[in-house]
Amino acid sequence: MDAYASLPAPRRLASTAGRTLINFYKVMRANPLSFAGFVLVSITLILSAIVVIHPALIVPYSATQNTGVYNEPPTILRWPPSFAHPFGTDEGGRDIYSDVLLALPLDLGIGIGIAGISVFLGGFLGLVAGYWDKPGTLGGATSTVIMRVTDVFLAFPSLLLALALLASIGRGVATAFLAIFITWWPFYVRLVRGEVLAVKHLPYVTAARAAGVKETRILTRHVLRNVFDPIIVYFTLDIGTVLVTFSTISYIGAGILWPGPSPEWGSMMSYYQGAEPIFIYWWFIAAPAVAIFMTALAYSLLGDGLRDVLDPRTRRALTQSVTTSEPPPEEPALAKATTETSAEAEAAEESEMRS
Amino acid sequence: MTEPVLTVENLSVEYEVGAGRFQAVSDVSLVIPPGRVVGIVGETGCGKSTLAQAIPRLLPEPPAHIRSGKVIFQGTDLVPVPKSKLPMVRGTGIGMIFQEPLNSLNPAYRVFDQIAESVRMRHWRETGILPSFHPGPTPFDYSRRPLPETADVLSHPVVPPSAKDMASRRSQQMARPDLRREVLDYLRLVRINDPETILNLFPHELSGGMRQRIMIAMALSQKPALLIADEPTSALDVTIQAQVLTLMKELIDEVSASILYISHDLGVVAETADDLGVMYAGRLVEFGPVAEIFESPRHPYTKSLLKSIPTRYKSDWPMPTIPGSVPNLSQLPRGCRFHPRCALAKPICAREPAPESRVIGTVRESETPHKSACHFAEEVANLP
Repeated sequence: MDAYASLPAPRRLASTAGRTLINFYKVMRANPLSFAGFVLVSITLILSAIVVIHPALIVPYSATQNTGVYNEPPTILRWPPSFAHPFGTDEGGRDIYSDVLLALPLDLGIGIGIAGISVFLGGFLGLVAGYWDKPGTLGGATSTVIMRVTDVFLAFPSLLLALALLASIGRGVATAFLAIFITWWPFYVRLVRGEVLAVKHLPYVTAARAAGVKETRILTRHVLRNVFDPIIVYFTLDIGTVLVTFSTISYIGAGILWPGPSPEWGSMMSYYQGAEPIFIYWWFIAAPAVAIFMTALAYSLLGDGLRDVLDPRTRRALTQSVTTSEPPPEEPALAKATTETSAEAEAAEESEMRS
Repeated sequence: MTEPVLTVENLSVEYEVGAGRFQAVSDVSLVIPPGRVVGIVGETGCGKSTLAQAIPRLLPEPPAHIRSGKVIFQGTDLVPVPKSKLPMVRGTGIGMIFQEPLNSLNPAYRVFDQIAESVRMRHWRETGILPSFHPGPTPFDYSRRPLPETADVLSHPVVPPSAKDMASRRSQQMARPDLRREVLDYLRLVRINDPETILNLFPHELSGGMRQRIMIAMALSQKPALLIADEPTSALDVTIQAQVLTLMKELIDEVSASILYISHDLGVVAETADDLGVMYAGRLVEFGPVAEIFESPRHPYTKSLLKSIPTRYKSDWPMPTIPGSVPNLSQLPRGCRFHPRCALAKPICAREPAPESRVIGTVRESETPHKSACHFAEEVANLP
């Protein structure tokens, strides 16, 4: 111990959370695309939070308000994009900018909600099915049941199911939610089960078992922790996909009706596409389309970046935060001395050469 | 004399798979006295690793199944221990070092967390936070010889918790500085330079030799009475192998735990082990002190193995080999399992199974008896 006491104390590190944040920032900075994704995702989250909490801050008009009614004629309803109406107005005089913003919390909520519930349900079932899968035991039987049920649900096509639900329980957010959710969670069961099967036979799990670690602890600390990274990446990528699917379902008419009290990007596109010639009134459809595209893209980019953040290899490579002790203060002097001596040696060599 | 740390009696392990039952280990008996290093050698698929994993009951059951036999560790038979109690048995006295150092560390945690886990587990066992199954009436005494300073960490006996200790479990969580100090001690024990830096690294940032050292440190931090090393050097390249082997040899002197050393390399075993067992097709065909086996092998298989060790001269080219290959466990030859490849085979070998291991020669006091399972153990010496 005494030999080590003379060494300088290791540099004080930030708290674990602080270090994680710093590393996150460094990895993001190293990868501009995922940084863009991170910024976009933050923007969508902040905007939707504002819209939910205090919409008057950024949303000038309500969803169905006719902004084209003035006291004197002529009344122009279809305003192209301008300062008053950044994304223009539609044929009912509705401000498209307000509508696109009002749709944001709903679309985002559906995306995060469905993907989130699927992660928990599918992840739990996948973990159970993957970890206890020995044939001939209770766990094996459970695993088989889970996987067969999963297969049945995987067989449903999402859009057709949405249409069937539309016919039976009617149009609405619930219809779209159910239609997507029923076909969505099985993917997570398969994903998690596959990962668990790959991880649970790795030697470090056996090593933990040999050390007398309990099964529950092995499951959480050694198996789940190593399955976690791909799942969180897949989840992030998935939010965009769910959002697009939800918009598609609204687009085919099963989700939300527009014009109506609550705007939704897919249904807006669907309505404007049929209502007016889109080559003339291009701004009707441009704003919701770009909104869907940008949001989905943002989550995809962030997911790619998260992969780098979560993997210790790339994280270390990108952050270079090897925790070494402070260099001793005399090091610069030493370096100087060596350069001097080498310079001297060079000079001596040179003079020798000349002579 | 002293009670052996581990006694394996007629252990048979079989795998039940779709195609049938395969007996990977049959009728193996061996004794490991305290502080002795026992090596097991054999070809691929002869059941070495199965034996190593069957002792701490690490084999996945099913498909593996211990059909018969006893594994007596410090006076307790481990075979009938129910599955739910296995975690209490495994960590208490038996440490394991595995074959693949590259995958034996959890990639998600830093070195500190990995070693701290096993240190903390032992601490919990010692203080009674974790239920512990103490095989044997008294904890094993490590003090075989005066210990060098680095091994001080290993010399604490396992103390059962007193009622007062149990009173406040909360206060018994190991303080982080203590934990850190102990982890550093173990890293120094396995000769890691600059352990302060290594602590904060992830496994993928370490070389194979380093990872194996950390595995060894993890195994030792449990203060095992028996260390099972399952080919600890075979996944490493030759120079690193030599380093790890040197470390193992030094540790054998310092730690004074008994070691079961599984290897396919006769040279490695000759350097490390005191006793040597030779396995063939699931059976322990010969067992005895290393020097004696190398000097006068009493089983034709051992003899052929020893002959096929390459020397550094080319004069004995082509290298002597054993004709044929290891029999498939589902189609074992009748009679002695080695007879189709044996130079000494007689009709009786094909007819009757090999005899029980029997003691060859005179047994001196305080020495492992030399046993062989061959009909003609006495004549092996005359084999060319």
